[in-house]
Amino acid sequence: MKKLVVFLTMMMGTLAIHAADYTYLTFETTDGAKASVSVGNLTLTISGTTLTAGSQSFTLSNLSKMYFSTSDETTTGIEEITNAALDEATDIYDLQGHKVTKEQMRKGVYIVKTKNRTYKMVVR
Amino acid sequence: MKRTLLSILTLLLAIAAGAQTLNVQVGSVTYLFPASQTGEMTYTDGNTLTILNKVFTLSDISSMTVDDTAVTDNLVSIAYNGSSATVTVAGNVAQYVTATISGAHVTIASTNTDAVDDDEITYQLSGTTTDGSLTLGGSYKSTISLAGVTLTNPSGAAITVTNSKRIQLSAKKGTENTLTDGSGSQKACIYSKGQLQLQGNGTLNVVGNLKHGIKSASYIQIKNLTLNITSAVGDGINCEEYFLMKSGAVNISGTQDDGIQCDLGGTASTGETTDHEDEDTGNMYFEGGTLTISTTAAASKGIKADGDVNISDGTINVTTSGSATWDSDDAEVKACACLSADGNAVISGGTLTLSSSGSGGKGISVDGTLTISDNANINATTTGAIAYCSSSSNTTIKTATSTNTTIENLNDALKTSPKAIKVDGAMTISGGNIVASAKCHEAIETKSTLKISGGYIYAESNDDAINSASSMTITGGYIYANSSGNDALDANGNMTISGGTIVGVAASGAEVGLDAAEGYTLSITGGNIIAIGGFENTNNLSGTAYQASSYTKGAWYGFYNASGTLITAFKVPSNSNMGTPMAVYTSTGTPSLKSGVTGSGTSYWNGNGYSSCSGGSTVSLSSYTNSGMGGGGNQGGGGNPGGGPGR
Repeated sequence: MKKLVVFLTMMMGTLAIHAADYTYLTFETTDGAKASVSVGNLTLTISGTTLTAGSQSFTLSNLSKMYFSTSDETTTGIEEITNAALDEATDIYDLQGHKVTKEQMRKGVYIVKTKNRTYKMVVR
Repeated sequence: MKRTLLSILTLLLAIAAGAQTLNVQVGSVTYLFPASQTGEMTYTDGNTLTILNKVFTLSDISSMTVDDTAVTDNLVSIAYNGSSATVTVAGNVAQYVTATISGAHVTIASTNTDAVDDDEITYQLSGTTTDGSLTLGGSYKSTISLAGVTLTNPSGAAITVTNSKRIQLSAKKGTENTLTDGSGSQKACIYSKGQLQLQGNGTLNVVGNLKHGIKSASYIQIKNLTLNITSAVGDGINCEEYFLMKSGAVNISGTQDDGIQCDLGGTASTGETTDHEDEDTGNMYFEGGTLTISTTAAASKGIKADGDVNISDGTINVTTSGSATWDSDDAEVKACACLSADGNAVISGGTLTLSSSGSGGKGISVDGTLTISDNANINATTTGAIAYCSSSSNTTIKTATSTNTTIENLNDALKTSPKAIKVDGAMTISGGNIVASAKCHEAIETKSTLKISGGYIYAESNDDAINSASSMTITGGYIYANSSGNDALDANGNMTISGGTIVGVAASGAEVGLDAAEGYTLSITGGNIIAIGGFENTNNLSGTAYQASSYTKGAWYGFYNASGTLITAFKVPSNSNMGTPMAVYTSTGTPSLKSGVTGSGTSYWNGNGYSSCSGGSTVSLSSYTNSGMGGGGNQGGGGNPGGGPGR
């Protein structure tokens, strides 16, 4: 009996490792944007060039990947960057929408635009 | 403790039920990807989706859903349902498996050349169809699991395996599975190019309608499985390299050729190898289980080996009822045999019940040598007549219940005689329990030498009970040879007896209990002998032989040595024409006999012998005087006195 309990306990451990609670299916588009969809009774349909998952629709050619995730990873299309990327900034805005220069940046959150992308930057 | 168990089980179920699975459906094939395994699933150019290296063309995908479907790694499930079939593929093997479905005909291509996640792929079949099949390709060993499937293919094999690697065909415990084939060009209802291991604790029924029931181009092993082959136009089971039955229950009937046939795969035998690794011998091994075979076809064999037959355990029941026939390929008359080996046969265990009823039929037929030992338990019976034809141009089979000059003058290829045990090579018996019965010819016959050193042997026939074409040497064992029409033990060479307990019953006339051919020596230097009909050509007798001038048919006798210790109790048969006198010999000195004893203890000799007895009245014995004895007396002639035999 003890052996059985040990075995089942080990099984439970193994299953627990495998059965992480993936509650979202996250889609990422070629521009890096992410959208997470709850997996509860989720159906993905492909119609023409469009894939629909729950309330989200994607143009197939814009999709780069999808993966199961344990949290909602939906982004606004703004990514976080490090100081290094700040050198490529063309425009910087604070959360009030005021355009600022690098030198004017103080502690707070800023939107940094480069030639190709837009980032969120937190100055601590 | 029970509560703990319940809690753990509940938790396990909850965890299992809570796992997410991505179902990707492409036509009738669904791929199941557990969320825990998928990682990043990549889209390329809006055309393809790659999951665990399985590339899907997006336009081919019928649907994708996420649910809590449980996934068993390495499992491909094939469900037949009337005129259609669906296939479900576990995500971890999806990249290797391509399934093509046409109606309920499923073709699987598999590209893995090694284990996947340390295991092989299992293809599990279920459901019912009257027009379906499975064709399985691949380059790595795999398992076909039968989980309650009824699969009929009216236009081909039920299962065809083109993969040349080892395939386990396993019937799941508690399931009954039936496979039926139809017309076409298939070699069997179940055909495997590679090694086939038939196993599982379920039941597999096979109905072969074109050729063999089961055929492997390589070896076949059977373990645990209950296998019923109820029909085959060819053999029930046909394989190459070797055949091994470890356990299980195999029942074969309704065949139009042999029960099980094993051929050499290549041109030269490898000889038996350790664990049968890369073995190609045409050998057949029986290590356990219960095998029941019934054949009816002319000249069919229950068990037929191109190589050797080795039986160490198990229960084997074979009946053949077909008659002899002219084989135009080999230009000879051939007959049925329950067990036939082109090579040698070794029987060291198991219980064999072999019965052949057709003309020329044999219980055991061995081209090489036969060795019987240890725990072998053999009961071989043939009840057919002698079969022969007039010439190779007049091949109509005729039968006769006894030989005659016409038959004796025929070339060997034109005749075949029914024998319980027939061996072309040397025969050696060192143990076991043998009962051999033939009606029209020898019960036990070797075309070479016969050596008996142990075991219990009972042989009865209308011809010689036991015959060797060359020398016969007996050093031990318990032998009862009962002939109702000829000699009991007949050596067409020297007969040398230095041990053992022998009861030989010969017919009246010129027949004798122990017969060495004219020009050869019967040498008795040991053992205990009862010879109804006496001895012949006894050129070397050590000690003194005695005789009872009369005996009672059907009576039990006690045979005692010089110390008064019982050697054996035996029953005199009730044959209509038994010879006289009843010679009595024991190397221990003066024997004694009691008639009318009551046997007890261990029974042997097919119920004609006992290890103990009681009662009875003493039989008067006198010195043995048989005119056939060399030297005309109690010791050997030709210069070998009884006390000093040349050895």
